Amino acid sequence: MSEISLTVNGAKRTVKVDDDTPLVWVLRDTLALTGTKYGCGMGVCGSCTILENGKAVRSCQIAASAAKGRTFVTIEGLSKDASHPCQRAWLEEDVAQCGFCQPGMILTACGLLRDHPNPTDEEIDAAMSDSVCRCGTYPRMRKAIRRAAAAPRTQKKP
Amino acid sequence: MITSRRAFLKTAALGGASLVVAFNENRLFGAGKDAAKKEATGQFKPNGWIRVDADGTVTLTIGKSEMGQGVRTSLAMILADELEADWSRIKLVQALPGPDFKRLGTGGSFSLAGSWETLRQAAAAAREMLITAAAARWKVDRAACSAEKGEVLHAASKRRLKYAELVADAAKLPVPADPPLKKASDFRLIGKPTKRIDGRSIVTGAARYGIDTKVPGMLYASIERAPWTGAKPKSSQDAKALAIHGVRIVPCTSGIAAVGETTWAALKGRAALAVAWGDPPANAFDSEAHFKRLDEASEQKGFVTRKEEAPAGTRAVARTLYASYFYPFYAHAPVETMNCVADVRADRCVIWAPTQAPNSLQDEVAKFLGLAPEKVEVNVTLIGGGFGRRLAVDYALEAAEISRAVKAPVQVLWTRTDDTRQGHFQAASVHRLSAGLDSADALVAWRHTKAGSPHNLKLPDPAAVRDAGFYQDLSWGVYDVPYAIPSIETAYVTVDLAVRHGPWRSVFAPSSVFAREAFIDEVAHARGSDPLGFRLELLNGPDTVKAGSLTIDRRRLRRVLELAREKSGWGTAVAARHGRGVACNIYDGETHIAYVVDVVVDDAGKVRVERVVAVVDCGLVVNPTGVEQQIEGGILWGISSALLGEITFRGGTAQQANYADYGVARMRDTPAIEVHIVPSEATQPFGMGEPPVPPIAPAIVNAIFAATGKRIRRLPIRPGDLKAVGA
Repeated sequence: MSEISLTVNGAKRTVKVDDDTPLVWVLRDTLALTGTKYGCGMGVCGSCTILENGKAVRSCQIAASAAKGRTFVTIEGLSKDASHPCQRAWLEEDVAQCGFCQPGMILTACGLLRDHPNPTDEEIDAAMSDSVCRCGTYPRMRKAIRRAAAAPRTQKKP
Repeated sequence: MITSRRAFLKTAALGGASLVVAFNENRLFGAGKDAAKKEATGQFKPNGWIRVDADGTVTLTIGKSEMGQGVRTSLAMILADELEADWSRIKLVQALPGPDFKRLGTGGSFSLAGSWETLRQAAAAAREMLITAAAARWKVDRAACSAEKGEVLHAASKRRLKYAELVADAAKLPVPADPPLKKASDFRLIGKPTKRIDGRSIVTGAARYGIDTKVPGMLYASIERAPWTGAKPKSSQDAKALAIHGVRIVPCTSGIAAVGETTWAALKGRAALAVAWGDPPANAFDSEAHFKRLDEASEQKGFVTRKEEAPAGTRAVARTLYASYFYPFYAHAPVETMNCVADVRADRCVIWAPTQAPNSLQDEVAKFLGLAPEKVEVNVTLIGGGFGRRLAVDYALEAAEISRAVKAPVQVLWTRTDDTRQGHFQAASVHRLSAGLDSADALVAWRHTKAGSPHNLKLPDPAAVRDAGFYQDLSWGVYDVPYAIPSIETAYVTVDLAVRHGPWRSVFAPSSVFAREAFIDEVAHARGSDPLGFRLELLNGPDTVKAGSLTIDRRRLRRVLELAREKSGWGTAVAARHGRGVACNIYDGETHIAYVVDVVVDDAGKVRVERVVAVVDCGLVVNPTGVEQQIEGGILWGISSALLGEITFRGGTAQQANYADYGVARMRDTPAIEVHIVPSEATQPFGMGEPPVPPIAPAIVNAIFAATGKRIRRLPIRPGDLKAVGA
């Protein structure tokens, strides 16, 4: 067990966990941020995706010891009121079915739009195809990402 | 119609300052269509409640699990519309099962059809009571008053009263026995595209699924389960597991559990155990061997599920076409793996579970713990994908067993590998079909035998009588072949299956519809017919036909096929290596769907579905957005089954472990999808969660045939199946 400090959603947090604890469990079990989902634990589904400096990363693939001193944003920290362009676009396109994978999908889309503010269909497919939605909400996700890309720039945050 | 004086009642005990109307929806998964009649003669037991509070909140308590099918939104729409309530004031509460609150549960795409009538009646009763209360207060003729958006108004005097101001008076009134229902032309919400009622909680991460349950003092458990039926642990490294901070080892029915203070401690403890199971017996389950058994069994006569002799004057069969179709094992693979929290005390137990079957969960856990069912409280959480897997309650029994052993609340969490390997799989089947053509190439005889396995999962309705109805249920898509063919004989052969299997999205239909709709395509091509035109020809003749307890409405199926032909540009030219295919189905006698699919097959034999034109007649549409979402999702589900993962078994164990080796559709596999909803004459909604699945796989293989001339008869399409033709 070690004391590890990291910044989550703008707040500095210090946790006492085993060094090898994947960040997904630190977030979920220790910090009670359950919006970040466990789906596979091996980086093949994308449910645990969070943001680091605007880049989408998989929290199941980051050990607590490696997360030391780093800064992350989870779905709970994307906005206080569902006002982020991606969240708004997701609601406007009514993307979710069961909704379980959607926090990870939204944050993956945020990462895509940071690197490609106006992504092509190919760029959307490439960025999103490492993630799994078993309900099959992909057609609406595509529309939501295009909609978010078209949203006024000034509103784009993390 | 299930109108009955007993269909709803006011419950004074719960009333107080609120208006409460209880109701009982009569049709539920596993209950059969006669259950409503039986229940109407017995004592009324509600399983749903509408409550209007003095602050204007309208609460619907109902035992339907939300797992992505949008049922909470659709039910809220029905309630708000009939009650004339303010949409923004509707709240949904999950019903808890109990001895007086039976037959909760979600499956078989029955939720809307089952709730439609009674929910509307109950809402209308509440509305009429509120109108009566207002008329009494104003001392005006009741008929001069009406309800609108959470208020009663008296048009002549332009007076209005909010429901909130009327509930106390309304609660004192008798419940009208037969309240008038709104005319369809007066619907404000029903039929209008409506966004999910809980969308905001999903995009903010606030939505709580089973896995998100946190209870004070809760421990976490991960179970190393027997890898094949009857496996016993040979050795385990207990000391290594116990060396991990706080970890305990708990042997349990399904294997050995590591219990820790965090999920990670439990997972590490389980890995440290390094349980050795020895070698599987020589006769351990093997899926290739099982396919051989199914194939042989499909030659047997079996139980005849439908038999129609050719009428006198039918010409003799001049040539016969034969084919066998193979449908594999699949896992459900919801993204939320199986999990459950149980808190077992000496005389009671509390469960938090993402379950489709709260009543059977309650009964099974109570039986296991030796408690009365009412001593087991079952809290149904949101579900991160159900698809039939969560009709089984195995994961709840595990949580109860381990909580009892460690005397603390415990969350059992399955890993992705557990979920992939230890599921209740969709069972493989083999379909043997033959078609007899007369000397003029008319289709005069149809034979379809399905060799498969009934569920070995215990369902809410245990009375599985092995009569014609039982075998017909196993043969959805086989015995209800909609086509007009003079001689039809369909049959089912039961083959025992040694691995756990149970309902999977669309239950028994996908394999059957795959075989039927691909083989009818073979027949069309064999006689040089256009596959879509041939289907339409076969749907001439009597507009309706009986098959078992179903009435097949060929007219409605013709209409969806005709619209699919028009919207898809059927018959227009396609590019090289492209092909267009069609398939259609009537799901459970109710939901009519036709798909036209465009595929492209590349040099390596890889198939890509480029476009799907979907046409559906699903009865009265409550939420068109919900219908579109279910079609989109069903198409992606079908693409997964046709082109991606299957489960295979060696030595009794599933060989796949996660999404890397059990493929499911991703964004890159997603075609352009057009959905066309046929305006229906039906006055009630039919299910949409499952019906979109069955016709997609056959439409894909039919399109592949059009593109390549190669007939696929086994799913999923494997690398190499099409390589020769693509090169």
